[in-house]
Amino acid sequence: MSKIVVVTSGKGGVGKTTTSASFATGLALKGFKTVVIDFDVGLRNLDLIMGCERRVVYDFINVIHQEANLNQALIKDKKCDNLYVLAASQTRDKDALSQEGVERVLNDLAAMGFDYIVCDSPAGIEIGALMAMHYADEALVVTNPEVSSVRDSDRILGMLSSKTRRAIEGREAIKEHLLITRYNPNRVQEGQMLSLQDIQDILRIPLIGVIPESETVLQASNQGLPAVHMQGTEVSEAYKDVIERFLGQERPLRFVEAQKPSLLKRLFGR
Amino acid sequence: MSFELKSTQWPLLALALRSADTQRLMQDWRQRYGGESGFFDQDALLLDFSALSEGNEPLADFSALLALLRAAHLHPVAYRGGAAALREQAAAAGLARADDALDAVQALTTSAAAPALDPSPAAAPERPAVGALLIERPLRSGQQVYARGRDLIVTAMVNPGAEVVADGHIHVYAPLRGKAIAGARGDETACIFATCLEAELLSIAGTYRTSEVPLPPEVRSKAARVRLQRHLDAERLLIEAIA
Repeated sequence: MSKIVVVTSGKGGVGKTTTSASFATGLALKGFKTVVIDFDVGLRNLDLIMGCERRVVYDFINVIHQEANLNQALIKDKKCDNLYVLAASQTRDKDALSQEGVERVLNDLAAMGFDYIVCDSPAGIEIGALMAMHYADEALVVTNPEVSSVRDSDRILGMLSSKTRRAIEGREAIKEHLLITRYNPNRVQEGQMLSLQDIQDILRIPLIGVIPESETVLQASNQGLPAVHMQGTEVSEAYKDVIERFLGQERPLRFVEAQKPSLLKRLFGR
Repeated sequence: MSFELKSTQWPLLALALRSADTQRLMQDWRQRYGGESGFFDQDALLLDFSALSEGNEPLADFSALLALLRAAHLHPVAYRGGAAALREQAAAAGLARADDALDAVQALTTSAAAPALDPSPAAAPERPAVGALLIERPLRSGQQVYARGRDLIVTAMVNPGAEVVADGHIHVYAPLRGKAIAGARGDETACIFATCLEAELLSIAGTYRTSEVPLPPEVRSKAARVRLQRHLDAERLLIEAIA
């Protein structure tokens, strides 16, 4: 039985695609057969982050329109055996996503034995985002520690609980997870960013992890490498914790405490 | 197929006219919203003539009234009720007949600007006759609940960007951070109660205050009650902490 996980946020630029890439990679590294689908038709990015942009021949829209089959469109990741990418089309727009088409592709992927289907949602609350969340079983709601991002995530949470298939059919609600990205404890302490407490006070869904603000993310995406592969970095460790918690393990929160300047720095003001 | 016909629902604002005196109406409108304001954002508008079923005269200066509303960034698209001549006039102006329209959203009445008008019996506020509408799920940004003709009780948080609207009282037993509009159809005795008052907007019978002026510290984030206080001709919202 495959599980469909949507990575969503409402606001753009908060780290949905970065998270989709690392989350899917992390699940695959744990041995689960995983596919990650880019729903951002017209503004595809996932293939760049996953470093497979030159291998895109057929895409998600081709499969929806039955111009290609899944075996032709699925791109096998070079670093993980169990990971596949379904790229978005750059030349079409989101109206090319039909609900029946999306459902058929998801069903076909489930029939191929995928354990996890990760849907990378576009920003906004239009058709692309609605399609990405519609069939989801679980949702990673990606939020930055700032007011506008929190409000957009709140809006998305409202839609998850009213506009998705589980909500419409009155089934068990989508399991929601809050993932805070670009968290900088020092800036929180200085009052420049919302704290974990502030964010949870508004959103009130379980926290699955906190990804610290870091240059590693940019370096990784420039190399076409999911950030979770950047061994030894805080970002990579934080994403690994997220995957462990998603799979039911308990992990203490890391990288959320402000770093005090060392005694020497304080003495010499450097 | 090159097209698809779908059933769609669309929230409308309703402007209930309580007087056939267009000049006075326009004057009241300008007083309340100014000639051109940023208060509305191209909202679709229904003109409710229900209170104007007596007599059979078309409205004088109807086109001027429409122009005024359009200048305020409202789009008059439909009408409801009214005498035959009025209906013909509205239809001739390109408005659609919408007698079936339900007050599913906040009715924008001219009540707050109306004290100068003679209160007609037809416009008297209705007391909620049925039990309150109970909402036990959190209301998130973009979500709206309207308790038509009754009170509203919300037991979970109302987040920024969400709207709770009732024709009667509103009770929120959790943080109230969105907009709360009580007495939406003009009941000036309606109140808003919250156990943690942090609302973006509070409105009772059309008199409102936004959070642009911060709530006083003695009620902010505290249990509080909001009611409408009339002093001479002016109305204001009185916010008191609940001990």
